[in-house]
Amino acid sequence: MIVHLNHLQRGQAAGAGGLVSVLFDLLEEGRADPRLLPHLRVHVDWIQYRQNFREAVTVRRAIDTRGDPLALAEVAVDLRQVRPETLREDLARALSAATAEGEEPGRHIRLEEFVPLRQSLIWRFNRLFWQHLAAWEEVSGRGFEQALPGSRSDANHPVAVADSVADFWTLLRDLDKRGQLPPEIFILEIGVGTGTRAALWLDRFRELDVERGTGFYPRLRFLLGDYSTPILDRASAAVRDHPEVSFIAMDALNPIKTLAFLRYKILHIHLTNVYDNLPHDEIVRRDGRFYLVEARAYLPDADRIAAALGFPPGELAQIAGKLLDIGPDYFGDRRRGVVWWREVWSGLRLEERLVALADLAEAPLPGGVDAVALEEMLRGAPDDIRFHLSSGAAESFVNTLPLLHPRGYLQVQDIFVTQMEEYRQGFRGPGKLDGSVVNWVNGPLLREVGTRAGYDVHFAPFRYREGSRTSILYTTQRD
Amino acid sequence: MGLTLLPTTVVGSYSMPGWLERLKTDYFLRRISRHDLEEIHDTAVKAAIKDQEMAGIDIVTDGELRRDNMIDYFAGRLPGVQIDHASKKFYYDFFDSVVRGKLPTAPLGLVDDFKFLRRFTERPTKFSITGPHSLVRRIRNEYYPSEEAFALDIARVMNLELRELVKAGATYLQIDEPYYSGFPEDVRWGVKVLNVLTEGVDAKIGLHICYGNRYGKPTWEGSYRYLFPAILDARVQQLTLEFARRGEEDVALFREFKAPFELGLGVIDVKNPTVETPDMVAERIRKALEIVPAERLYVNPDCGCLHLPRDVAFAKLCAMVEGTRLVRKELET
Repeated sequence: MIVHLNHLQRGQAAGAGGLVSVLFDLLEEGRADPRLLPHLRVHVDWIQYRQNFREAVTVRRAIDTRGDPLALAEVAVDLRQVRPETLREDLARALSAATAEGEEPGRHIRLEEFVPLRQSLIWRFNRLFWQHLAAWEEVSGRGFEQALPGSRSDANHPVAVADSVADFWTLLRDLDKRGQLPPEIFILEIGVGTGTRAALWLDRFRELDVERGTGFYPRLRFLLGDYSTPILDRASAAVRDHPEVSFIAMDALNPIKTLAFLRYKILHIHLTNVYDNLPHDEIVRRDGRFYLVEARAYLPDADRIAAALGFPPGELAQIAGKLLDIGPDYFGDRRRGVVWWREVWSGLRLEERLVALADLAEAPLPGGVDAVALEEMLRGAPDDIRFHLSSGAAESFVNTLPLLHPRGYLQVQDIFVTQMEEYRQGFRGPGKLDGSVVNWVNGPLLREVGTRAGYDVHFAPFRYREGSRTSILYTTQRD
Repeated sequence: MGLTLLPTTVVGSYSMPGWLERLKTDYFLRRISRHDLEEIHDTAVKAAIKDQEMAGIDIVTDGELRRDNMIDYFAGRLPGVQIDHASKKFYYDFFDSVVRGKLPTAPLGLVDDFKFLRRFTERPTKFSITGPHSLVRRIRNEYYPSEEAFALDIARVMNLELRELVKAGATYLQIDEPYYSGFPEDVRWGVKVLNVLTEGVDAKIGLHICYGNRYGKPTWEGSYRYLFPAILDARVQQLTLEFARRGEEDVALFREFKAPFELGLGVIDVKNPTVETPDMVAERIRKALEIVPAERLYVNPDCGCLHLPRDVAFAKLCAMVEGTRLVRKELET
């Protein structure tokens, strides 16, 4: 058995020590199958975020592509959730379930079959949230940005916005000096939030332009793109003072599809907290072998949830499906629908299993990513690692780059893992942020993808708010 | 040459297969031998020639698949250019190449490439080289007093190679100078260098200028207006330019400046994977014919298909050939 103590938050040492001692007790008591031990790994983690899809102790088994069990088994412990009084029994149950013959404990209602994470219905819940944001906020009593750390989005930090404007203005001035400034200056923001950032940016740009007398502002064509029309409507109110703003319903996964007519024409593209909200897969490497993580959504305490909502437990899965198909109006009373939705979302957990891959080429690779890029990314990474295959982020990135003017640049403010080593220092999502899914993004993967598309990718910490975990990805044209 | 009206040809590299990229990278990482790589290149070049023939291209090239990029293939052959660390993480990256002394005179070995091409096709051929201006914009100069002086000396050495190519049977040569678009202020001396390069070379010379195609995207933007009037002094027969992606507005510069050149009209956008229809190609040709007579018009892609998947590149060449046929028919009636 290998114990991976991946991360220890201050004040959690006692919990981790207790865990190890409980493990040894259970082994001595014969409550774990000795045949399991050579292939068992126990991961002690600090899980980003407080609200996530795991229970305090979870187990995952490995299978081959035919579904036959393999020897590898893992028990994952979230130190933040662990309760000393139940740890012993939780671990005992997990160790028992880790054997191929074991069964999942508890009263679970499954909401789907095992699927690669990217296909899990958690992403349908995520979409539901953005499509019915106003209804959710009405019931929760707070705007979605208030769920963010610090109760506000770093995107709207006035100094950061002013610096962004200054950088862009400098580029325009340089192009203008060379006689290369296009007649129309296109700029795109994908994932518009409340529209606050765009408004701040435009206000500042206009101010600077007037101050310097450069006449760039009237040539500006500012595009706001989002897949949620309610969000676009909300943003339009924020930027009403700026007539040259256009609103475009678009899929963040494929901006070039919507904006093909602007190929190589956009001088600046900005995204904040979009990539962390796009579907992903996860890959595990153990003993030199790769596994794809498959997940199955379930409700662990189905009886309680069913009782709270006034439905028989057996109908929960079907009703959840209707909610995802139709939205909260399915219940006739929208408010009641949102209450039901919030209850299910709060309880939702993911079971996991590891499906062995013959090689990386068998992984569900997003467009623009090939096995060679992954191999390059993994060169020098720890041997034992579980990492995000940030499929949605990579796809979005690859499908955004062709919009950039030769002198244009992309800026993405988000939560990035910037070194593969960081994956060994805690489990980085997915988590729940209000009604949405939030997830760290694999920066080294984007770096590889960018290289192949002709861009160097850099990361800079967001220095405008102390304690911020966000970084800024920016591209420069590769020589 | 006995060519049909509106001859079709290609520019730059043909589609680079993923497997060839990996093998080239393996070579630069010292995982496969030079001998193996040469065999692989021979095979890839034969396939590229065959694809062009099957698409119906009138004037074929070797697809430039031996080249890792447009600079290093020449930097590595120019006598006197030093490459301090001759390994790369990715084949397409540029070496850090530098010149620290006067270039000696020595062959570049391009004649072998040309002979290989001739051996595997019966069709008329074109052979391309990267021009001195583009080379000096990438090779660090630690010897010559100016970039112009460096370029002139490259032109002197390469002129001999062009003459050797003609002796070996080359009748149509193309010089690639995309870096003009990035450094428009150099065009005047660039043309002077070009004329040294082509002095006494008894072949049709085409000059290809685009806005860059590195990683399948433009490196610069602007208008070809910067070329004029300086380019009118260039002793070349043809300008091969990029129009499909950028629109044909600049074709009018030929009329405005009474340019005496043939025009190699870019009708295929190589920076966009969407395959043009023959009708689109035909329409682009018809518009150009309003300005340039058919006898002076060649039809080609904007630049190399290097970054396009092979099936897309092939489909684009087929559309180009078919679109050209449509216009030829109209001209015959």
